[in-house]
Amino acid sequence: MKALNVMKYSSSPVASLLPALLVIGVLMLVPALGPSNRTLSLAISAGINIVALYGLAVLFGQTGILSMGHAALVGVGAYVAAIIARDAGIGFWIALPLGSLLAGAAAAVVGVPSLRVSGHHFVIMTFAFGQLLSIVLTNGGDFTGAATGLDLQLPVTFFGHAAGDLVPYYFIVVAFVAISAIASWAIIHSRYGRTLRAIRENEKLAASLGINVGRHKIGAFVVSGLFAGVSGVLLAYFYRHISPNQFSAFPSIYLALMVMIGGARLLLGPIAGGILVSFLPEMLNLDPVESRILYGVCLIAVILLLPNGLIAGLVQGIQSVFQRLSGSATRKSTADASHASGAGR
Amino acid sequence: MDILIQQVLNGLSIASVITLIAVGVTLIFGLTGIINFAHGEFLMIGSIVTWIAVQAGLGFLPAMVIAILAVAIMGFALERGLFQFTLSRPTNGFIVSLGLIIVLQHVVIFLFGPNQKSIPRPLSGVWDVGGVRIASVRVMVILVTIAVVAMTFVMITRSRYGRALRAAVEDRDTAALMGIPVRRYITGVFVLGSALAGLGGALLIALFPITPFTGGTMVMKGFAVALMGGLGNLTGAVVAGLILGIVEGFSAGYGFSEWTDAYSFGLMILVILVKPNGLFGGTSGPKMA
Repeated sequence: MKALNVMKYSSSPVASLLPALLVIGVLMLVPALGPSNRTLSLAISAGINIVALYGLAVLFGQTGILSMGHAALVGVGAYVAAIIARDAGIGFWIALPLGSLLAGAAAAVVGVPSLRVSGHHFVIMTFAFGQLLSIVLTNGGDFTGAATGLDLQLPVTFFGHAAGDLVPYYFIVVAFVAISAIASWAIIHSRYGRTLRAIRENEKLAASLGINVGRHKIGAFVVSGLFAGVSGVLLAYFYRHISPNQFSAFPSIYLALMVMIGGARLLLGPIAGGILVSFLPEMLNLDPVESRILYGVCLIAVILLLPNGLIAGLVQGIQSVFQRLSGSATRKSTADASHASGAGR
Repeated sequence: MDILIQQVLNGLSIASVITLIAVGVTLIFGLTGIINFAHGEFLMIGSIVTWIAVQAGLGFLPAMVIAILAVAIMGFALERGLFQFTLSRPTNGFIVSLGLIIVLQHVVIFLFGPNQKSIPRPLSGVWDVGGVRIASVRVMVILVTIAVVAMTFVMITRSRYGRALRAAVEDRDTAALMGIPVRRYITGVFVLGSALAGLGGALLIALFPITPFTGGTMVMKGFAVALMGGLGNLTGAVVAGLILGIVEGFSAGYGFSEWTDAYSFGLMILVILVKPNGLFGGTSGPKMA
């Protein structure tokens, strides 16, 4: 798997963006099929999650840090949007960068102390910060709307028109999914991405190469916070009502699980995870309780059977089949066969 | 002042249950490296089993024994069926436990509904000691916890089994070479931790009504306590549990009860900022060669 990734990153980076853009392009066509409102809302909330998942993928897939308080960062974005709309009448397009920046800043606040400890401790620290935030929001009185949360009155305007319907909002969300995918791709293929992967693979070695491991970890956390903030603003404007329990521990777990199921290291992973998790219960026609049981079972199965996520497992499976076919057909040496399949990818 | 003592006692009785979780979590992590976040759900299942047994007409004591056994058996099955496959990749074990949280929680909701469940208090007496009203059930919970934790502590520090266990925590491979059946010990510790969670569940439902979501809050506090004391450190878990109980009691006594849930996390973050390895120093889990 490691070899596969390295090859993928080194061989023609632009080509690796194409599958993701293709999928997003197909998703753009969905409203043309005349989906029901229910399907469309599910798709929108899936898209909002996917934006956050791309941030999580930078953190977990590239840097190897797992955040279990990520929904709290989404919450920062959402609350920023709701509060500035209520107090200052500031709308969607300004809330977006502001929410994103503040979520990034919140990530730095959480990241600096949390990253003093490593591994499991870090995971539990982020978890604790997430819980703390939801307690603060619950006890925040009128400013945060306490346990009942806040309503958002302002519509999303698009070139002066209110985009109140589901379809325009769907397009906005898909556009942000595309932007997130491209941003994530740019990070993966940049020098910065390589630095992060070096930290993931061997922290000590990375440090000995002169990489400031602590600073880059916090940096990755802040970057993932920026994505989370955008996702939060989108979420606030979609639901028009937010409450603390949307951003507590369990939503964080679900986000982490989505990115795991999809596969955190691949560009298509977040899209696959987000869509699968949102639509699987609907397709199987399960009630929420049953679907969550199924979700948990799926997750455990994925982790035990395909530790790198569903998409990575799929790619790997296809590759091994391809390799076997080409190997038996041409009777070349194994080195040639793997080279051939590498080029065919 | 009387109110304060009463509140501190209340805080300590809840902290007892949290300490039981923390001890289980810390023991399991020390030997296996598994961060079992589903430990709180083990506790919740212990409560549910107690509830079922009491509903069926059993007394609290037999119900508690059944709960301990049931959760211990569940722990055995899950260790053999799931966690043993993740021993070489602790992160995966952690994620599996997250999946388990969802499964266990919703299976309980599926079978018994999401509403609160309570049992009649096993001890209803209230003692009046110099103006301080003390509910006997809370004292029982504290005493049972002290007894069980003390037993665990003696077993681990004094017995042959405990010494072998600590050797296995220190260096799994060398311990295995010395003839210690490390594999069996891992299962044993997991089952022991589960049994403690089962006991904690029985004690918790004696104090409060529980819901299928109770495990989530409790386990986070359990982990906060375990980390505060130093993950893998039994003494640390007990002392940190004590600190948390007193802090929660004081805060309730001075009228800040709505912040109760924040203290465990706030304290933990503070402690870890000052001493990243916890108050008493922890292990970083078994060495994975």
